[in-house]
Amino acid sequence: MGLRDWLGLRHELPHRRRLVLVFLSFAIPLILWSVVSYVPWIWHPLVHVTETGGVDYFSTGMDVDRAVFAQEIANMAKAGLKAPAGYRVNPLYFQPPHAVARAFYTAFTTPPRLPTEPWLHQSLGHSIRTIFWGFAISSIFGLPLGILCGTYRFFAKLQEPFIEFFRYLPAPAFGALCVAILGIDDAPKVAIIFIGTFFQQVLVIGNTVRKVDPSLIEAAQTLGARGLRLLTRVVIPASIGDIYTDMRILLGWAWTYLIVAEVVGTMSGITYFINQQARYRHFDNVYAAIAMIGVIGLGCDMAFAWFGTVLFPWKRRARKTVSRVKKFPARSPSPAAVPPPADAALSPPFGAENSET
Amino acid sequence: MHLIRRIICLTALSLAAVTTSLHAAPLKVGYSDWPGYTAFEIAVQKGWFKDAGVDVEFDWFDYGPSIDAFSAGKIDADCIVASDALGAGAAGSPSKFIAILDYSEGSDMIVGKPGIASIKDLKGQKVAVEFGLVEHFLLLEGLKRAGLSQSDVTLVNTPTNNMPQTLASGQVAAVGAWYPISGQALQSPGSKRLFTSADAKGLIYDVLAVNPASLAAHHAEWSKIAAIYYKCVAYLADPATRDDAIKIMAAKVQQKPEDYAKNLPGTHFHTLAEAKANYKGDAGKAMNLHDSLVLSDKFSLENAVYKVSQKPDDYVSGAITLALP
Repeated sequence: MGLRDWLGLRHELPHRRRLVLVFLSFAIPLILWSVVSYVPWIWHPLVHVTETGGVDYFSTGMDVDRAVFAQEIANMAKAGLKAPAGYRVNPLYFQPPHAVARAFYTAFTTPPRLPTEPWLHQSLGHSIRTIFWGFAISSIFGLPLGILCGTYRFFAKLQEPFIEFFRYLPAPAFGALCVAILGIDDAPKVAIIFIGTFFQQVLVIGNTVRKVDPSLIEAAQTLGARGLRLLTRVVIPASIGDIYTDMRILLGWAWTYLIVAEVVGTMSGITYFINQQARYRHFDNVYAAIAMIGVIGLGCDMAFAWFGTVLFPWKRRARKTVSRVKKFPARSPSPAAVPPPADAALSPPFGAENSET
Repeated sequence: MHLIRRIICLTALSLAAVTTSLHAAPLKVGYSDWPGYTAFEIAVQKGWFKDAGVDVEFDWFDYGPSIDAFSAGKIDADCIVASDALGAGAAGSPSKFIAILDYSEGSDMIVGKPGIASIKDLKGQKVAVEFGLVEHFLLLEGLKRAGLSQSDVTLVNTPTNNMPQTLASGQVAAVGAWYPISGQALQSPGSKRLFTSADAKGLIYDVLAVNPASLAAHHAEWSKIAAIYYKCVAYLADPATRDDAIKIMAAKVQQKPEDYAKNLPGTHFHTLAEAKANYKGDAGKAMNLHDSLVLSDKFSLENAVYKVSQKPDDYVSGAITLALP
């Protein structure tokens, strides 16, 4: 099996090989992480003191720089005192995989320490609700606006320059304003996610709609379609599949605003857990919580990708044929400043398309 | 289109729910992770507010956002460092200090790297503090007592959360940080406490700052809330209940009780008697609240934290505490 078979440009890989690659994409980072964590001579820049020896400022359980430790051993030898002992460790903020895995499990099984506090799964539920509302409200406005901008020059020119400007403004900076207007509970958090998502959403969707094949529109116009009918019968059906994939990417985008959104107003959700654990340096719990967000995000995305293949069965067939046949990019590059999401990002992450082969 | 209509309905409903929840009006108090504030959690868990017939909601914040929410008028009171309350007042959100919660007695500190034995050694060196915050204030007090001034050191503006790494990097001679970050900075080998809030007792006060309008409208409730704070302090001080108190407070910040207990001496909680005396100007060996505010006002003006001098008498409001039985 030659290298060419694996690296064939734009060739579909056989099902088996794809699974191997999917596995490797997770296994490689995990192996690297394990190597740095468990192989004692790789990195491990600190020494965990087990015996203080004659060093007055050492205490057992303290982590010191290797250089300092070596220096003190030399000092003690010179002074004729007992040498300190210890073993090499990584800094506290770099936790090994097993600690994070354990924290992942115990975080769910540990009851809240006070009866008024939420369980972890309740906190996660709270976070998911926040994301849901932020994204839903953003979509209610962003989706129609994006479609209008993509279809009519009028709306594009009226909206997009300002939106282009606004999307650079950092959403977290509006935290205090959101609290002043919306109070301290969930509303300002939802607003931060809205601000973080909406402006990108309009531009990305506008861009996707703009890529609808002009000949389709011309043909429809020749046949007498115009106005709203043209929009609902031609433009939207032609772009709906791509809009759906855009929405998936945008949902991921919304998640990235969660951590900054949830410290606005009262602390809540998974961020409360992460911040509190980080403040007291329980980094295993911190990484476990971060991993939970990753798992939920990826899980949702895979579910949506699968659902997409159900909703838009013609999409996968169409793309497959195109990718085998076409020699030149069929679509002209987009004129707007936002580059369209790369094709790779648009296809379902993995697995979803496999059923066909 | 059905789906869209449904989504719009749901959104409208949820927004309505959010707004109504703002209008149903328990008093709201913001608190955050500092022992003097977390003590309120004892009353929350014991149901003391309900027992006293006070409709109050305690909202847990990060310290910074709690000030934002208070300044925006979204909470009626905040557990806050007195000098920060002056800052909020200068920015248009004045408040009344109806209860003195505590002063810092060691939890705030200036930590020096190896080789720096005292504040005097900082002359000509770099010191990392977060500009305008209490550690900056503490450092200046330390410098003053060592016969130095701000111009004798080079200040480096650094977020307090990053102080342990900053000190470990060796790029600065000392850092200023509060609990629990100060403890981490001290773990850096050879590092040393140069000056702490225990050396300047009463320099850094924590108070319950109440919105004046809410205070006027709900005087009786605020009086009960202040009384309950001192009850929490008594519960924490009583050897019979101390362990239970620490357990509750530690649980609130997800710490082990034994670790949490170790850090409690850094906070000088005020009993009712101490608070009363303090309002009258007597804080024992410590500086009283009023004098501390005079100093911090001067500091804030000199360092452009705010521009218009704030009069301590406009803030310190002993009437409620002094009237408590």
